Amino acid sequence: MTEEYDVEFVEREDREARFLVRGVTPAFANGIRRAMIADVPTMAIDTVRFVENSSVMFDEQLALRLGLVPLTTPPVGEFVEDDTVTLSIDVEGPATAYSGNLVSSDSLVQPADENVPIIDLKDGQRLEAEAEVVLDRGKNHAKHQGGVAVGYRHLQRVEVVGDVPEFEEPDERIVRGVIEDDGELVPTSEFDHDLTNRYPDQEVAIEDVPNAFVFHVETDGSFTVEELVTRAAETIEARATELEEAVQL
Amino acid sequence: MMVPVRCFTCGTVVGEHWEEFDERANEGEEDPKEVLDELGVERYCCRRMLVSHTDLVDVVSPYQ
Ligand SMILES: [Zn+2]
Repeated sequence: MTEEYDVEFVEREDREARFLVRGVTPAFANGIRRAMIADVPTMAIDTVRFVENSSVMFDEQLALRLGLVPLTTPPVGEFVEDDTVTLSIDVEGPATAYSGNLVSSDSLVQPADENVPIIDLKDGQRLEAEAEVVLDRGKNHAKHQGGVAVGYRHLQRVEVVGDVPEFEEPDERIVRGVIEDDGELVPTSEFDHDLTNRYPDQEVAIEDVPNAFVFHVETDGSFTVEELVTRAAETIEARATELEEAVQL
Repeated sequence: MMVPVRCFTCGTVVGEHWEEFDERANEGEEDPKEVLDELGVERYCCRRMLVSHTDLVDVVSPYQ
């Protein structure tokens, strides 16, 4: 790669971020995206033992709902793929059982969202269950997918090339993502995705900046965006190392 | 029956917003569009999960 590798944040929150990566090939950008979706292990409920379920839903339906609740994933190295954590839930109606009612045996593994309704319990109904949590990857089950709606677009460079003729009605010019204007990064949401709002009465040219990609990453709450991206890069490295060792003479 | 925990398409957790959405847009008079915007449910795949949902627990519970 001739261009220098560089990362710059455009928007940054705990669970959602937009950042620019320069100096990577389209293949590598897609590799990172796929690793974020399918290869970063997260904790999720996998087996449920029902002690009592007199609710209106079947055991397996509730087990699926429990599995989809995002759980905080401990730091790398704390758990390996066969370790388990037990969560238990015991709610008696009339009440609604929420993900926040899950009691964990390990403080590192907790429901990331407390307000997900699991099941509405009527008078006299009861849900009591014990669930086993395992570490696994998104490629095996969507409940282990830590990154949601992960995608990227080319960075687009906008240049003013002239004026619109005085009596011509300009058409709207819709772009989405992030534009580069004189080296400054501007999210298109700032001007309602329409270039004629930012450059009234001016003729502009747009071009894709080669090897510069703007990633939009959201997580389900299992970890922060930073952690998701670094762990995704680590899984690529681990697989590359594995390949290198496998082809050694 | 119960609101889905996650969006079928993208995997975002939408279940946690159901009770507030139901209270404000279905029971209340507020515009569903505005409620969803305020809840931060942005994509249309996630928005349809809440807009098109009907709770059936009360309907089936007498037959349990
Ligand atoms: Zn969605």
